[in-house]
Amino acid sequence: MKTILASLLSITAAAVVMAAPEVGQPAPQFTLIDCCGETHSLSDFKGKTVVLEWLNHGCPFVQKHYDKGDMQKLQKKYTGEGVVWLSIVSSAPGKQGHMTAEDAKKTAEEKGSAATAVLLDEDGKVGQLYEAKVTPELFIINPEGALVYAGGIDDKKSTDPADIATSTNFVAQALDELLAGKPVSMAKTAAYGCSIKY
Amino acid sequence: MTNMFRAVVLVLGLLLQVAPLRAQVYQGQTLVEASLVADTTAIIPGQPFRVGLLLRMAAGWHTYWENPGDSGLPTTFDLELPEGFTAGPLQWPLPQRIIEPGDIQVYAYRGETLLIRTITPPADLGVGTINIKAKATWLVCEQICIPGKAPMELSLPAGGPAAAANGEVFGRFEALLPSSEPPPFETRWTKTPTGWNLGLGAAAGGGKIDFLPLTEGAGHTAPRDIANGTADLAIPIDDSAPIRGVIVLENENRRGWTIDSTTGSTAVAAAAPKAADTSRLWSYLLYGFIGGFILNLMPCVLPVISLKIFGFMRQAGDSRASVLKHGLAFIAGIFVWFLGLAAVIIALKAAGSEVTWAFQFQNPWFNFAIGAIVFVFALNLFGVFEIVLPGRATTGLAEASGHGGLAGSFAQGILATLLATPCTAPFLGTALGFAFSQSPVVIVAMFASIAAGMGSPYLLLSAQPGWLKFLPKPGAWMERLKQFMGFPLAATLLWLLFVIGQQRGTEAIIWAAAAYLCLGLAAWIYGAFLGPLSPPRTRWLAAVGIALALLLGLGYFAGDLFARSAAKGPVEAGGKEADGIRWVSFSEAELQRLRQEGRPVFLDFTADWCLTCKFNERTAINTPAVRDLLEQKGIVPMKADWTNSNPEITRKLAQFDRVGVPFYLFYASGAEEPAVLPELLTEQIVLRALGAKTP
Repeated sequence: MKTILASLLSITAAAVVMAAPEVGQPAPQFTLIDCCGETHSLSDFKGKTVVLEWLNHGCPFVQKHYDKGDMQKLQKKYTGEGVVWLSIVSSAPGKQGHMTAEDAKKTAEEKGSAATAVLLDEDGKVGQLYEAKVTPELFIINPEGALVYAGGIDDKKSTDPADIATSTNFVAQALDELLAGKPVSMAKTAAYGCSIKY
Repeated sequence: MTNMFRAVVLVLGLLLQVAPLRAQVYQGQTLVEASLVADTTAIIPGQPFRVGLLLRMAAGWHTYWENPGDSGLPTTFDLELPEGFTAGPLQWPLPQRIIEPGDIQVYAYRGETLLIRTITPPADLGVGTINIKAKATWLVCEQICIPGKAPMELSLPAGGPAAAANGEVFGRFEALLPSSEPPPFETRWTKTPTGWNLGLGAAAGGGKIDFLPLTEGAGHTAPRDIANGTADLAIPIDDSAPIRGVIVLENENRRGWTIDSTTGSTAVAAAAPKAADTSRLWSYLLYGFIGGFILNLMPCVLPVISLKIFGFMRQAGDSRASVLKHGLAFIAGIFVWFLGLAAVIIALKAAGSEVTWAFQFQNPWFNFAIGAIVFVFALNLFGVFEIVLPGRATTGLAEASGHGGLAGSFAQGILATLLATPCTAPFLGTALGFAFSQSPVVIVAMFASIAAGMGSPYLLLSAQPGWLKFLPKPGAWMERLKQFMGFPLAATLLWLLFVIGQQRGTEAIIWAAAAYLCLGLAAWIYGAFLGPLSPPRTRWLAAVGIALALLLGLGYFAGDLFARSAAKGPVEAGGKEADGIRWVSFSEAELQRLRQEGRPVFLDFTADWCLTCKFNERTAINTPAVRDLLEQKGIVPMKADWTNSNPEITRKLAQFDRVGVPFYLFYASGAEEPAVLPELLTEQIVLRALGAKTP
């Protein structure tokens, strides 16, 4: 009871104080449940680098990165290096991309997701808290809990998987820099994709 | 008459030069229909033309603008052109701001959109068929998003006679292209902690103002209502980088201007404000009245005006009331034409078309029809036939002549005005340019005031018939004078045939003349055998004869042969040396190129149906002194020939708030803005303008 109250309080507080998530500022706190009933709070991952990835498998931009396994490769590579990767689904019930816990489990297996967890955000509260607008949209939080990257997956705004080979992946670049102890050179980029179906 | 129908179908077919549709179907629903369209039926060497990607979205679905906003993807439109062809950048019409749940804002098109690119073919292009290949990709979204793409192809004949095509759709979306000119109101940029504040001063009347960002990273603006002619917009952006975007003014129509924060803060109302404040409106209405009055003196109207003066002479003996009635009928004719024109313009504007003054003379069928009216009128004056109203034989002369006479005066009023439109008199250029950009009420007021100006001398003469006493007494000489008056009308016919020839070639003149000949025959049969005194058998035969003559003339010569004579291309560069000046034909690209090279340019906007233009060219431009000066100063003479409809020229005129020709500009080398010359030129004016402005 106490933890629930605390997390509720922290979300409200975050929502009030962190009207807009700012790169360089503490990342807004949240708690969500994953496909398998487990609860995950951002605060659980203090001391680790965390990636938030907004997800909607019906969106052609997401498909661009999942159908040929590119996103999964990223997830595998960086979770292997100790990074926590959280995929968040903010689609409202009845809208594209929405998943029940059961769907989420099945889809994650089908797609071969290598994310630490797929989190369900039916009411869109966490999406709104981060002012996430599209899928895919990514955020990186450093071990100190500060937001160090916000934006898109790469620089080729398209739905064509063939473009991935020639594009600069901003997330990989930022993670590499973080893991090497360097500051993130491109901390804010324009995300492209489908609107999140709030 | 079936020929006539065939001709109409043929013309309609030409207007719809569309490559086959490509449909994007998703789960049985057609989401997007894509097609490639061109604004011409044929390619003329060296002459830029436009192609457009026409996208039709299913209800509720949208495709995106060049900056899609928070989500989505801009449409791409790539062209694969034969060697030597070049294509300009993609031009985007104004999108809509669509707000989705979660405050996700996008800039997108619903319903239908046309993305335009200008293609310049090589000047040495041969004859043949040119294939233009295009590849388009887009993302179409409703609740969900589906990517689409289509390879498209369009074949156009090269080097052939070209006519405008798809004018309606190009016109509609061209009006929605943001202008690169400064907006007609003040823009003030102020840096704020969260971005920029854009203040607007003296904005046009009322309505809504919006800003659509083109700079990546810029946030969304809330559209504002304009209050007391001003409004403030907040544009959020993180860094203090300059910001670029499109400012959109929405009142009766929707217009946009591309602006950026580096030029705005200091740029204060470079263009004349279009705000319709009352005093300004009154002065424009006064200009309209004066301009309308001056129309009476224009060479195009003189033949009809002389008819009217003749009419006044004949009535000099009549009662005062009758004279006044005729005068009023004539003025009513003037008003009916002008107000009808105003109604047509408002309707066309509402439909989103580009409208111009005297645009009707760009249509060869209109010229043909006016020619027929003028010819029949002339035959009437020559005495080939008299117009006999059915009532005349039975109900007594007095009443019938009163009736027919009034209808005649009314018709003369309409005809006079009809012929007057191609002569944009001084004052009218400014006044019309003002009116065309205004609301329907102002357009009607403007046209009414021109009509009043044109009708005013007749009202005075009719109300004060005493002044007519200075004219000679009626007598037998009047019949001779009437016949003589047929000649100026015949001369008008020559001018119309000349215009038709310029539009459609010599063949068209012959077929039009053949049609008129048949019309003349019909008129003669009518006059000779269809009188009230002819026996019924003769009358019956005469009616058959008239029908046959009309069928041959209008059905075959006009409906088939004239209809098939194809439109002629505009003057080719350097081709028209007959007048001694090596004119370069106008294109915006060429003009910009010459100006960048630092060459001075004299730009002549003209049309063959514009007598004032021709008069100016003969008397003030194509003179030895002007020719020498052009040569000596290295001034490039550039001609924008508006005889046939040409959207590029229409756009250029619109930049200077003009809707008609004549219009003259002189770009001195290095000068920012061109000098505008008056509409009625003398050699002195031209020499001074060209001489004084060049170093």
